[in-house]
Formats: sequence, C-alpha cells, structure tokens
Amino acid sequence: MLELRAVSRHFGGVRAIDGLDLRVAEGEIVGLIGPNGSGKSTAVNVIAGLFPVTSGEVLFKGQNLERLPTHRRLQLGIARTFQNIRLFGQLSVWQNLWVAQNSPEDRARRGFFARWLGGQRGARGEIAQLLEFSGLAGKQDELAANLAFGEQRRLELARALATKPKLLLLDEPAAGMNSEEIGQLRERIQRLRGRGITIVLVEHVMELVMGVTDRIAVLNFGQKIAEGTPAQIQNDPLVKKAYLGGA
Amino acid sequence: MLDFAQVVLDGLLFGATYALIGIGFTLVFGVMHKLNLSYAAASIGGAYCGLLVLQVMAGAPAWLVFLCGFLAGGVLGYVVYLACFHFIPFSSPLATLMSTVGMLLLIDEIIVHATEGRPLNYPAMFDDVMLRAGELSLRGDLLLVFAVAVLCMAALLLVLYKTKLGIATRAVSQQPMAAQLCGIRIGRVNALTFVVTGLLGGIAGALIGASVGTLSPLLTLPLTVKGLIVTVIGGLGSIPGAIIAGLLVGGFENVFQLYRGVTERDLYVMLLLFVFLVFRPGGIFSPQSGRH
Amino acid sequence: MDFYYGLAQIVGVHTLLGLSAYVVLLTGQVSLAQAGFFAVGAYTAGMLTVLAGWHIAPALGASALCGAATACAVGFPALRVKGLMLVIATLAFGEGVRLVFFNFDYQIAKGGIKVGPLGGEGFRQIRFFPENGWTTFDVMLFIWLFVIAAMAALWWFDRSRYGAVLRAVGEDELAAQSVGVNLTAVKVSAMTVGGAIAGVGGGLYAHYTTHIEHSSFNVLVATFAIAYPIVGGLSNVFGTLAAVIFVQAFLVEGLRDLGDWRNLLFGALIVAAMNLRPHGFFGRRH
Repeated sequence: MLELRAVSRHFGGVRAIDGLDLRVAEGEIVGLIGPNGSGKSTAVNVIAGLFPVTSGEVLFKGQNLERLPTHRRLQLGIARTFQNIRLFGQLSVWQNLWVAQNSPEDRARRGFFARWLGGQRGARGEIAQLLEFSGLAGKQDELAANLAFGEQRRLELARALATKPKLLLLDEPAAGMNSEEIGQLRERIQRLRGRGITIVLVEHVMELVMGVTDRIAVLNFGQKIAEGTPAQIQNDPLVKKAYLGGA
Repeated sequence: MLDFAQVVLDGLLFGATYALIGIGFTLVFGVMHKLNLSYAAASIGGAYCGLLVLQVMAGAPAWLVFLCGFLAGGVLGYVVYLACFHFIPFSSPLATLMSTVGMLLLIDEIIVHATEGRPLNYPAMFDDVMLRAGELSLRGDLLLVFAVAVLCMAALLLVLYKTKLGIATRAVSQQPMAAQLCGIRIGRVNALTFVVTGLLGGIAGALIGASVGTLSPLLTLPLTVKGLIVTVIGGLGSIPGAIIAGLLVGGFENVFQLYRGVTERDLYVMLLLFVFLVFRPGGIFSPQSGRH
Repeated sequence: MDFYYGLAQIVGVHTLLGLSAYVVLLTGQVSLAQAGFFAVGAYTAGMLTVLAGWHIAPALGASALCGAATACAVGFPALRVKGLMLVIATLAFGEGVRLVFFNFDYQIAKGGIKVGPLGGEGFRQIRFFPENGWTTFDVMLFIWLFVIAAMAALWWFDRSRYGAVLRAVGEDELAAQSVGVNLTAVKVSAMTVGGAIAGVGGGLYAHYTTHIEHSSFNVLVATFAIAYPIVGGLSNVFGTLAAVIFVQAFLVEGLRDLGDWRNLLFGALIVAAMNLRPHGFFGRRH
C-alpha cells in the first residue's frame, strides 16, 4: 500500500533521512522506531507531504505522491497525528471533528443535492460514533483547549479518523501516557486494524510497539538499520547498539 | 541621460534616510518579531523635538537641532516600547499591532496640536554648497544627509557585532528562550533595541526635515508606507537589505518622478513593491535571524 | 433627529467595513486592504448611478461584485506572504488603490456640467439619494438593511461548518492542511466575501456623503477597518458592531465637546484598550 523507495530528505547539510526503503502492505501495522534524531518524524512528514523528498519516491497504492499537497494526500486516504498535539484549541470537540470530515465521501455528501437527501444526518452520526469510540461522548461542546491531556490525545486520534483514512500515520501517540492509557490505546489501534486501516506507528514507548505491530523498522541517523518482527528486533545486536550508544 | 543620472544620484543620497527608517522597522521585527507601525511617526516626532532647541536658543546651529532630534528620537523610542510592547502579552500580536497604530495616531495628533497644524521650517546645513563630479552636481545638504546616515549605519553595525549589547540583541532575535536561560535580560534588550532604533529614527527625521526644508505632520503616513516598502523589499529582519532597499527606493522614486510626475510617482513605487512581492517575497536578503 | 440618523448611517457603513475585515481576520490574515475594496465599491456605485443612470440597488450589486473580484485577485498573491508581511503587502495594496483613484479622471457632460471622478479633486455630486427624494431616515434604513443582512450571513457562517473551517485555518494552518482543508480555497474565499461586503459598504458610503475622494480611503481607514474586529474581539459579529458603536458614537461624537482633543484621545484610548484587554472587549469564545 505504501512504499518508500530510496527516499532521502536533506535539510541543508543535515541528512534527516537517507536512502530509506520501506514497504507497508495493506492492513499491516508497521512500527518505526529509533533513537532521537533518527528521522522518524521526518519520515512521517515526508509521507504526509509536509516536505518534498530530496530524492527517491513515495508511492501510495502505486501512485507517486510527488508534488501532491498535503490536503490532496488526505483525500487519497493518508492521515496523520502530531507528536505535539495540534488541536484547534478554540474550537469545540465536535467542531474539531466536523472540520476534519474531508474525505471524498464526505465532500460528495456536502454536494448540493446530497444535502437535501439526508447527507447531513449521516455526517452527524459518524461524529457521534467517533466520540463514542474515543471515550469522548458527552464532551462534544467542550473547547478542545480545556480537555485533559489524555482526552486531547484521544481527540487528536479521533480527528485523524474523521478523515476516513486508509493509511494512518501515528507520530508518538503514547508519549506521556501511563500504563492503563497505553493499554487502551493498544486496544483502539487493534480495533482500527479490524476496520481495515493500515497503520504506521512511530513510537518510543516499547510496550506499545512490541505489543501491537506486525513488523518493525529501525532507523538510526536517517538510515534503516534493521527490519523484522518484534521478536527479531528485540534480539538484534545492531538495534541494541543504536539505542544504548557506541554508534 | 544626464538628467537621469543626476536624478538617480540625488535619489540615492536621499534614499539613505529611507534606509534608516527601514532599518528601524526591520530591527524591531528581527528582535521582537513584531511590527512597530508608529516608528516613522516617532521619527518625525523626534525631528520636531529637535526644533525645541530653537525655542530655547534662537539662532542655534543646525547640527544642534539635529543632535536634539537624534536624542529625542531615542527617548520617544523608549516611550513607544513601554506603551505598546512592554505590557502586552506576547500571545496577542494583534493587540500589539493595534496599539502601535494607536500610538501612530496619538503622535500625529500631538504634533498637529503642538504646531497648530502649520508646517515648520527646518534648518539645513551646507544647502548652499554644490560640489561637482564631472557633469553631475552633488547638493551639499544631500551629501551631509548621506554621510550622517552612513555614519549611523556603521555605528549600528559596530554595536551589533562588536559590543555585548549587540551580541545579546542578536541572541534574543535568534532564540529568545535560550537567551533568557543564559541570563540575558530580554526586557532590557528589547527596550534598548527601541532606544537605538529611536535614535536612528530621530536623526532620519531630522535629515529629512533638513533636505526637504520643512516638517509637517502630513509626512508621517507616506513615510510609514515608504519605510515599510523598504523593509519588505530588503527582507524583513535584514539590515543590509534595508540599506540597499532604502537607496533603491530613493533612486527609483526620483526616476519615477522625472518621467511620470509627482502625482503618479508613489503609484510606481507601489508597483515596485508588488514586483518584489510576486517574484521575491523574501526580499533581497532573507532574514538574518533564522527565527522562522 | 436628523443628527442621530446621520450617526446611524456612519455606524452602519463602518460596521460593514469592520465586518469585511472580520471575516478575513478569522482565517488568520490581517488585511489592511479592506479600505481598497471599499474604495472600489464606492467609485463603482457612484459611477453607475451618476454616469450611467442606474438605480442604487443594482449599482450596489455591481459594487459587491467588483469588490469581490478585486479581493479575489488580491487573495491569491496574498497566500505567498505570511504574517506581518501580509499586513504590509495589503497596506501597500490599499495605498495603491488610493493612488490609482488619485490619478483617475473620467468625466462626461450631463445637463451642462461635467460629472464624474476627477483625480485629486475627487468625485462630487453623487446625488442619487437627494435627487430621488430619499430622506435621511430612508437612507439610514436602507443602509441598515445591508448591515443586518451582512451580520446575519456572517452569524450563520459562524454556526456552519464553513465558519469552523475558517477559524481552524486561522488557528493552525498546518493542522488544518493535515486534516484535508484546502487552505487556498478557504483563505481566498474569505478574502472574496470580505471584498464583497466592503464593496457594498463603499457604495453606500459614496451615496450618503455624496462626495468621495482618494483621501477618504487612506491608511487610517484601512486601520479602522481592522481595529473594529480586533477591539471588539473575534468571537462573533456583535463584537465588531459594539466596537463601531463605541468608537463612532461615543468617541467621535460623544467627545465632540472636547473638540480637537478627541483625535488625540482616540489614539491614546486604543493604546490603553490594547494594554488592558488584549483579546478585545468580547474576548475569547465562550
């Protein structure tokens, strides 16, 4: 579904990612880990279209995404969450989700005629479902900025889901969470896989990564140094070296 | 052809004042990431204060008037800092912008009140001197304007690059948080930035008064617009950009006036700005401080 | 009574000016170009009623269209400049429009005299209202018809998805893009709507003052335009209305006794207001 071919992204002299090859099959949950500065977030940004690639190709369902702006990638089905939550703080929970309903299906629903044929009700129902799924039911009129941290994280995820993604890029969703919250997040991610969403999970929290992913790719200094199942990665000496130093 | 060259030359010399105003706008932007729309008005205000010398000492030499304008500009700069930047929280950029607009109106009105709306004569130096460079003539007073402006710019660059204050200023403009953590007192740096730009503005105002011959409150708005144009063309945050752009605008302005007359002149200056905005929105130089 | 009707006319037209800046401000764009669209609307409507003999209503429709078209044209290049650069660019645009009208002559002879805009002297004799027997009261009602329509439309926007999208863009462009919002479409459309409102305001302005000139559309007017929504707060349209009433009715007219000092006071009051209530009188939402 997603393929990165020899993707490089340079910022001046810094090679944030260098010759990265990655393949994600439909329905998989792939983890992307590595020490700080290894290029994980840059990879997400490149896939999402925030930065163009310096070289290499990003393909989604066989289509080269070059030059496609972020909002068009969204319409193809690529959504992402942000490491430092970027909610619309001055909008309510409901409005945060409402504003995100930009999938082709939702756009058609807002078309002139569809509106008269009950289109709006459909959209409303979906937002209610999302709130339910994220444990935010009843909070719909609360300003996003006034939510508790955990609730904000859940809203961030819910908002990405409101776009009806086929591929979901999660950028460190578990940062700052306690064990119980991580467990809930894990469950949610598994339910998303059940709905057919492909997921790329960038994360530091090993508890989550090892427990929910099918495969893991490890980055260090912008390059992939290992790839395999969680079990394989846990025992890989190169990975251990990268994390524990001596690089 | 000769007319053209002469007009360009005069324009370049006068453009040094625009450069100073541009520097003032761009320096405040570079350090505080905010726009001080009252700056040009404060500069003219400082120049007016220079005239107070003549009230106290009739027949005082022109340079004393200029000096007074210079110093008054610095004081005004500090006042503007207190009124518009010191107390308003950083998270309200719109409020800061509006308060500088309020300040602009306030300064304008104070000038109108104090002078009863009548334009005042401004002393000049060397206005009877005319040097020759080949076929071209160089007005003495314009040469002085240029020389003083260049001196101020040089002094500013010296301060910025060779003194502790200058280094602190550049640090704050690049990384305010980190600068604070290093013990740099941001409030002090910001206030001093305003004083320094105020000084530059005061002398610029005085020089404009000297070369035009009169001061009037009607000067403030066009000067604000031109100063902003210079700042944008030069690149927000770039001092060398403001210098070059100032000279450029001065030169072009005169050329436009030569070919299309006074009423259409400003329209073409505006077009110059739009050309830059379309082809080079970052200005001649992208900003010095990499705060983006 | 006529005095109060006149005041209401001024408040009405300034509210339209403020509302045109309000909708653009929601998307995070600080535009000092609204006075330019206002000017375009004013000259358009004036020329249509005076030179072409149109009725005021279709003339205002044309003002709205011209204002919108100009704004749309400005909206696209405006996307390339961010933040404070946009402030300067729009200020320069507004000045540019003013300078164009400063140099604009188009006169035709009507009944023995020449009418039409004449460069620096401006455009006099825009006498549709007096020539058709409209009283000050009639004009006031007419103006407020449009003000109420504009406020209703923007109020409705605010409650609709479009309004939420505008504010989302104003708050965080990156996040908005990432959930699929087309920034270009949103920002340019907001600018266009603002241009339409300003155009209508300008057309009305031209007719109740009967005489317009380039200096009626200067930098000060441009800053008044954004001052209203900033001082009133961006929560809803009533903030802008309140700010206009406060400024025009109380400050300008109420302090009339202070004569020349009220302009001075006005500047000082803005500085004070911004220091005391940086988020405007009607502050943050909720």
